[in-house]
Amino acid sequence: MKMAAMVLFSGSRGFAPLVILLAIGTPACAHSGDTAGGFLAGFAHPLFGPDHVVAMVAVGLWGAFLRQPAIWLLPIVFPLVMAFGGVLGIAGVPIPSVETGIAASAIVLGAMVALAARPPLWTAVVLVGVFAIFHGYAHGRELPGGADPAAFAAGFVIATGTLHLCGIALGLLARWPAGQLAVRAAGAAIALIGAVYLGGLV
Amino acid sequence: LFSVLAGFAEGMMLAVAPAPLLAIVAIGLLAGQGGRSGLIPALFALGMLAGSLAIALAMRETPSVLVLLATAASVGVTVAAAIVVPPFPVNGLAFATGAALALNAPPQAIGIPAAIASQIGTGIAATAALVLVASMAAGADRPWQRIGVRVLGSWIAASAILVLALRLAR
Repeated sequence: MKMAAMVLFSGSRGFAPLVILLAIGTPACAHSGDTAGGFLAGFAHPLFGPDHVVAMVAVGLWGAFLRQPAIWLLPIVFPLVMAFGGVLGIAGVPIPSVETGIAASAIVLGAMVALAARPPLWTAVVLVGVFAIFHGYAHGRELPGGADPAAFAAGFVIATGTLHLCGIALGLLARWPAGQLAVRAAGAAIALIGAVYLGGLV
Repeated sequence: LFSVLAGFAEGMMLAVAPAPLLAIVAIGLLAGQGGRSGLIPALFALGMLAGSLAIALAMRETPSVLVLLATAASVGVTVAAAIVVPPFPVNGLAFATGAALALNAPPQAIGIPAAIASQIGTGIAATAALVLVASMAAGADRPWQRIGVRVLGSWIAASAILVLALRLAR
């Protein structure tokens, strides 16, 4: 995460101090909850769900493939809509087939990259937004009540964003013909992983 | 002297607890994005002073953490969408956030000097963090840097919305 953040914010007027500030944010003892543990647990949360990981990478990959403005719009839209899904999960609003939706997100987004699909921007935003609700819902249901919830939420949102950045970085290879092939192959692999997960759910 | 220093350090740590930090970074990004990195920290510090005075006047427990999270969520969305907000609401928000932050960080120290040192520590740390973020966001003049500011805004909003929902659901 820190490496990706440093890469993103390096420069003459770099954001490195801000990243450091966010990374060292710690609790006062008076505010109960294990903040460091909460942050790390939150950060690790999406990383230990391969279906989440591939779908997040696919969002970044597809954004990079679609180029401006999708390359930055999709990673901005996803966390916001994911939070809305998280609220539904926390509130206990029933959403059917959440795991199926998550697996489907990997299949569809991976396929979009593999097929080099370039739909209108609004279609891409709506598609990514719909899948973000499933991911957010799953996260929202699993938000811990005991540990510092702010640290946990910040951790997993940053991890999610970092996975998007990884996808974007990989997707930038699409500028070259050989890289485009590699990116499309990665999309196909993501779709395949999603299909395997979906098969396991059925 | 040790208790005063300990109180000061404790106060500084209160300012960088996750929920206050989300609000500080959000306000800082908004201030920097709108090119108002000078006035906002001053109003924020003034708000903190008002909040500290309220604590000194033995104000009861307030839902200040909810205010901080709601601020982080709404301001984060505003930053992510790059919405230009008129100065008056932003100024008011900065003042209110400062006050809420001070109210959210009541000193744990028993002695009065240590308690005052704790409040001063919170004020210095929070204002310094705000100035740092605001100045960096104001200096983000390259396109990818401005996008970075918007992405950070969306992350802050998402985190704050989730925690706010969790707190309200309890």
